[in-house]
Amino acid sequence: MKMRKITALLLASTMVVGGCSIVSAEDGGFSASELQVNIWDNNQLAGLQEIADAWTETSGVKVNINVVTWDNYWTLLEAGASGGEMPDVFWMHSNVAQMYMENDLLLNLDEYIENDDAIDLANYYEGIVDLYTRADNGVHYAIPKDHDTIALLYNKAIFDKYGVEYPTDDWTWEDLYEAAKAITEAGADDGVYGMAMNTSNNQDGWYNIVYDYGAEVITEDHKGTTIGSDEGKAGMEMVRKILTVSAPQTVVAETGTDSLFQSGLTAMITQGSWMINSFYTSANAADYAWAMLPYADANGNGSCDEGERQSAYNGLGWAAAYNTEDPDAAYSLISFFCSEEGQKMQSELGVTMAGMKDASEAFTNAFDGMDVSAFTRIEEEGTLYFRPYTRNTTVWEDALQQAGGFLDPWQNPEDADLMATACDNAQKIIEDAIAAE
Amino acid sequence: MKRKMSKAQKDEAKWAYLFVTPTILGLLILNFYPIFNTIYQSFFKTGDFGRGNIFNGVANYTKLMSDGAIWQAFWNTIKYAIIEVPFGVVIALILAVFLNKKLAGTSVYRTIFFLPMVCAPAAVAMVWKWLYNTQFGLINNIFHTKIEWISNPSIAWISIGIIGVWSIIGYNMVLFISGLQEIPGDYYEAAMIDGATGIKQFFYITIPLLSPTTFFIVQTRLIGALTVFDLMFMVMDKTNRALNKVQSVVYLFYQYSFTNGDKGTGAALVVMLLIFIMILTVILQQIEKKYVYHN
Repeated sequence: MKMRKITALLLASTMVVGGCSIVSAEDGGFSASELQVNIWDNNQLAGLQEIADAWTETSGVKVNINVVTWDNYWTLLEAGASGGEMPDVFWMHSNVAQMYMENDLLLNLDEYIENDDAIDLANYYEGIVDLYTRADNGVHYAIPKDHDTIALLYNKAIFDKYGVEYPTDDWTWEDLYEAAKAITEAGADDGVYGMAMNTSNNQDGWYNIVYDYGAEVITEDHKGTTIGSDEGKAGMEMVRKILTVSAPQTVVAETGTDSLFQSGLTAMITQGSWMINSFYTSANAADYAWAMLPYADANGNGSCDEGERQSAYNGLGWAAAYNTEDPDAAYSLISFFCSEEGQKMQSELGVTMAGMKDASEAFTNAFDGMDVSAFTRIEEEGTLYFRPYTRNTTVWEDALQQAGGFLDPWQNPEDADLMATACDNAQKIIEDAIAAE
Repeated sequence: MKRKMSKAQKDEAKWAYLFVTPTILGLLILNFYPIFNTIYQSFFKTGDFGRGNIFNGVANYTKLMSDGAIWQAFWNTIKYAIIEVPFGVVIALILAVFLNKKLAGTSVYRTIFFLPMVCAPAAVAMVWKWLYNTQFGLINNIFHTKIEWISNPSIAWISIGIIGVWSIIGYNMVLFISGLQEIPGDYYEAAMIDGATGIKQFFYITIPLLSPTTFFIVQTRLIGALTVFDLMFMVMDKTNRALNKVQSVVYLFYQYSFTNGDKGTGAALVVMLLIFIMILTVILQQIEKKYVYHN
């Protein structure tokens, strides 16, 4: 009985203390004592917390960063947005940015940016700035946090074991096919594959091949697709060819391409720059190396021409909730994350490449002993196209990955007609989805 | 004959109402409001973030009716229930009868069988996902097989059902044990004197006298099985080719409502599920009147 009383007393006192802290702490002149920040990538948590702590030193406002897994992030944010209970500051993504902006759920940043010397939107990647600008009134709702590109990741130990030459910058997708074939055949007894790619490896996988061959998954006006065109079919035909010498789809669906790679069971995968850290910190990191994405010699002249080597790029934006308690503090944090200082810190800490142009050099040196320059070299030697998105991207993106989309040819890559049919289906899936938006 | 309440009784009633108010409020706000709101939403083409809903009559329902995926999902869900409920009940009953005896170590076994109930469903699903893995899973490695437990469309539903049975046995068992302890010992003594064997006692005393408990478990588990979601969601990858043959109605609801952001269609789908469960419950109540033994 006595114990219970003491517990009750303790509980009551924590409530009082907790209540007090809301009114105290006003170092930077902000009314909030703590900002809630939501992100979905655990790899970035430590680095971002360090940057946020640097901001806390001047502002006096604590920053509490929560990691919510990708799938739950959007469910949670949407539920929060519907009920008016969003985190103060959070990441925005191309999949749904338009929807959030059109419903005025994000804080209008225009006035703040105008009065802020640290931010000049001309210094950021245009595609990302555009993404977070509402088309009808030109209002900016988020500032670019980072940008990412794609590269080819390979395991040197596997290449050595089967006596296959490492990937080079001169590789075409045909060369990748030949190497994957050699390894898959030689490694059959060990259960080692040359390459692994699932239908869900879109931005970091087959999208890039489609663009190399001159088709677009989503056209630049975000109103259509050319995946069913001859170029689109040529790209997917190359994908099909690679799949015939890759890990079977059931294997990649059950185990995941990343796990296969880290278990030494596939020699190559394609991956985005946001994943570097997880491979850098993995047990066999010394065997891993990055090469530029291969190109497609679509015109057959034996060299890599304009548009034949493409990488998707995407960028997250830092946004604030429209109803955040202390918009000044929220903006101040965003401004620090996106300022030159914050962006450079982000690169140096190896969190991600910067959303600000020319602020990513430090990133390539952030990983001692691992050369990640393939991600920045493709920006100079290749073409970047913005990650395909429409107003409600997930609808067609998911449908493409499943039965009725590209899952069928992935199951049976030997059948060329199946892939061509899937391209026609994909054309229809995307067009129908856009029509329903 | 109605009698007026005395003042003391009235006072007592006031207090009674006061005490049940929090529960009633909770039910109204957390259960009834969402149910009616869902029914309401199912007649709308819902806008983003619950704004700008447009009334469209029964269009969501007609759209669903013509979509083959939902009938497949209903069939998948029923198949799951057909595995989970009977096996979950029978195995739990047998275990309960054994663990109800006064033997050494019963409490250890009871704890072991109940443990799955205490584990987070997501963690359970993750472990099973790796046990079932075709290439690297423990099951295939022990038996030197290459069975695609969760990727082969014709067996994946059984694999998922097994996880369901495994997870629920402990809970059912505890309910059965409490039911068994309510059966008076005299019946068994009398039966023994008359020369009934253990098996006969089980079928002629235990099963009939346990029928209220059995019925309760069957009914609650049936509803639980028909609303299953987490197992499929956690174990099956989005790109798993067997997904179409395994995904449950609630999984499809999640897909419509949260992945595709189409709340209206999702709402219509759960209303259909609600009606289905209601019909089933009515049938079960009829069966109860006929077969369940009450003192």
